[in-house]
Amino acid sequence: MWENLSNGLMTIIEPTHFIILMAAVIIGFLGGALPGLSGVMLVVILLPVTYGMDATSAFMLLTAIYGATVFSGLITAILYRAPGTPEAVTTVFDGYPMTQKGEAGKALGIGISSSAIGGMIGTIFLILLTPTLANFALRFSAPEYFALAILGLTVVASLSRGKLTLGLIGVLFGLFISSIGTDPLTGAHRFSFNSANFSSGIELVPVIIGLFAISEILNRSSKKENMEQKVTKVKTKIFDSNLMKKITGTLARSSLLGSIIGILPGIGASTASMLSYSEAVRWSKTPEKFGTGAPEGIAAPESANNAAAMGALVPLFALGIPGSGTTAVILGAFIMHGLQPGPSLMTTESDLVYAVFAGLLIVNLMILIFSKPFIFLFSKLLNVPYSVIGPLIIIFCIIGTFAIRNSMFDVYVMLFFGLLGYLLEKVGFPLVTIILGVVLGPIAESEFRRALEMSNGDFSIFYARPISAILLTFAGIFIIFAFIKPIMQRHKKRGKLEYQEKIGGKP
Amino acid sequence: MYLKMPFFIIIALTFTLSACSGGSNSENVDSGAESSNGSGTDSQATDYPSGNINFLVGAGPGGGTDNFARSLVEQFEEMYDTNVNVTNLEQASGAVANERTANEEPDGHTLNFASSTYIITVAAGQNNTGLDELTPVARMQSDILSITVDPEQFEDFDEFKEFAENNPGELTVGGTHAASPDEMGLLELNEASGLDLDYVPYDGSGEAQADLLGGNIDALLEYPSAMLDYVESGDMQPILFLAEERLDEFSDVPTTTEYGWDVTNGNERGVLVDADTPDEIIKELEEALHTIYESDEYKEYEESNHLHYREGWMGAEEYRQKLEENKEMYEEFLNNK
Repeated sequence: MWENLSNGLMTIIEPTHFIILMAAVIIGFLGGALPGLSGVMLVVILLPVTYGMDATSAFMLLTAIYGATVFSGLITAILYRAPGTPEAVTTVFDGYPMTQKGEAGKALGIGISSSAIGGMIGTIFLILLTPTLANFALRFSAPEYFALAILGLTVVASLSRGKLTLGLIGVLFGLFISSIGTDPLTGAHRFSFNSANFSSGIELVPVIIGLFAISEILNRSSKKENMEQKVTKVKTKIFDSNLMKKITGTLARSSLLGSIIGILPGIGASTASMLSYSEAVRWSKTPEKFGTGAPEGIAAPESANNAAAMGALVPLFALGIPGSGTTAVILGAFIMHGLQPGPSLMTTESDLVYAVFAGLLIVNLMILIFSKPFIFLFSKLLNVPYSVIGPLIIIFCIIGTFAIRNSMFDVYVMLFFGLLGYLLEKVGFPLVTIILGVVLGPIAESEFRRALEMSNGDFSIFYARPISAILLTFAGIFIIFAFIKPIMQRHKKRGKLEYQEKIGGKP
Repeated sequence: MYLKMPFFIIIALTFTLSACSGGSNSENVDSGAESSNGSGTDSQATDYPSGNINFLVGAGPGGGTDNFARSLVEQFEEMYDTNVNVTNLEQASGAVANERTANEEPDGHTLNFASSTYIITVAAGQNNTGLDELTPVARMQSDILSITVDPEQFEDFDEFKEFAENNPGELTVGGTHAASPDEMGLLELNEASGLDLDYVPYDGSGEAQADLLGGNIDALLEYPSAMLDYVESGDMQPILFLAEERLDEFSDVPTTTEYGWDVTNGNERGVLVDADTPDEIIKELEEALHTIYESDEYKEYEESNHLHYREGWMGAEEYRQKLEENKEMYEEFLNNK
């Protein structure tokens, strides 16, 4: 294997290949930074360009673009609350509050270093463990995915920041949105009003962009003081040793979690960043700080989504099974280049596979090197008056949303959610919980029903299988804990009061 | 003053752009008007095409139907010396693409690339654009469905069949999407064979394959192109093809016809246009597609995608009949489901 890898590195050092990699990173940066233009679309757009290339260059280009877009979605997410890619939606939760506090540079620095570290760990996983891990992933089926989604949903208690009722309303609303459209198991139409648009369901991206980007533009334009933008100096410090110490634990946990989730064929990087954020909140000693600009809140999703993006390539190379939307398109590209993806690809095309692996290692390094000048350019935009940049963001959001499926309906959906998000924020509604429902809802529903279809309606499939049993037990514990915790706290408080009364002090 | 400058440029640009596109626009409108009058159609066929051609694909990028449309682009552009734009409209299983084709000018400049999913959604009452609004031009592919298993679990179809007969409703068979060619294939097979196989729909064929490899389901409905590599590695084995004759590459795998079941539908891909399109243009397009179908380039594409096992070509008339027959049959299945 080391020999293969060093051969791969030699292939990359060839000038043409190196230039292709650099170009891919730059294209990926730009694409990821524009809200709406996602990795899938970039890969589809560039697919015809790769026909003229040899297979090695083609797949280096495609996978490198894929890696770079997942990274650069964080820039606009942090600066403007407009996630450049769906994978970066979770980065908004803590990244943007940090920008509002005038710490945009710090936020970007955490994001970049977490991304690169996550990407590196993911790639190392990919290189060392592809054959072994692919077989592990096969043990995950419908019941396990369902259990994972439920485990993710239980975090609603900590994400709603003390407003549990609002949080539950949010998550149920999100689940409702995800149930609009075609029933995944019977093909029946739900809430479709006999319209082809509704019957194809509500896409995740318009909801995200509406709730976060558009609502923020509405919010800021209604405030007077923002018409004159404060000139902020953004100094990006990529490695801040004090900060790094603080987030090391989160980084390690999230990268590992991201890699593992990425490997599972059923779910992709957006879900990975959502789940990893949830877990970061759950394991934090100060969960109340999340959502107000906690460094861990950026480190967790960013390291997880980059790790997951690399992890998603494991089943692709080892089994010919795509782990996410973009890898599905890359799979199509394999066939067009006359390569048969499947379990034998690793042995028959090992030169190609290892060149791609080595390329990904270099790409993650390049991300670190290139990001500083790139972000310097983007942060200059912060000095442009919001009355100019705001409308521009709206235009990009509309174009990007339209381009996902060439659908004007998606644009209306985005604008609707923009207005909704604006109104909900006024009453302090935890928007995060809606996204939690929309991301995890489809997984929870269809996997639950698929599992029952597999077992012919026997519920034992959920507890007879070890992985799903363990995950569901944890979910159960977390749910119970969420209800007990407020009672215990009240109890403690009351205890304190009684004590104070006894000794005659004032509460 | 500096405000007026860009304004002036925009106005100037608008004029130049409208001047450029004006020519082709007016032609399009003309041909539309002519066809509705039913006059001057002769000159139209020779004029065809009068502008860019649009391929509307009722599926997402990277899939079988998308690859099919894109494989024709180059030859189409050469043949007519024009530009071909491919647009993916995957919403509502392609119903949006069907609807848009029916709403465009009926001048043969908008071609809808569809799979069997089209007629299934019409049969299910989920697609308002029926065969009265769209007319078939040609069918070019007829992909063959198989029952594929893990060879360690079942050796051949007889063993599979015996298990299914003794344990009705036990065996689970995965496929892509609900109300899809895969599900219809299994319903047809159940009906003809009297077996009770349980269909489990997945969002993509990759997830279904993962579940077969992981031993979570018993079989797959799969097309040759998607399983070949797994067959070579010994992880999967087709045990039955829904076909008339045995396939050359799999001469030891029996077919439904051998068991006396007339179940041969797989996934058929073809081209549809607006039903009001003049006959001359439909004829012209049919001939063009046939020329491509016979070409070496297309044969090469067919072979590399393993679509060459069964004759794909059907002319407009034959294809219409087939679609109508299938619609009736699927309506019955879906009502009894």
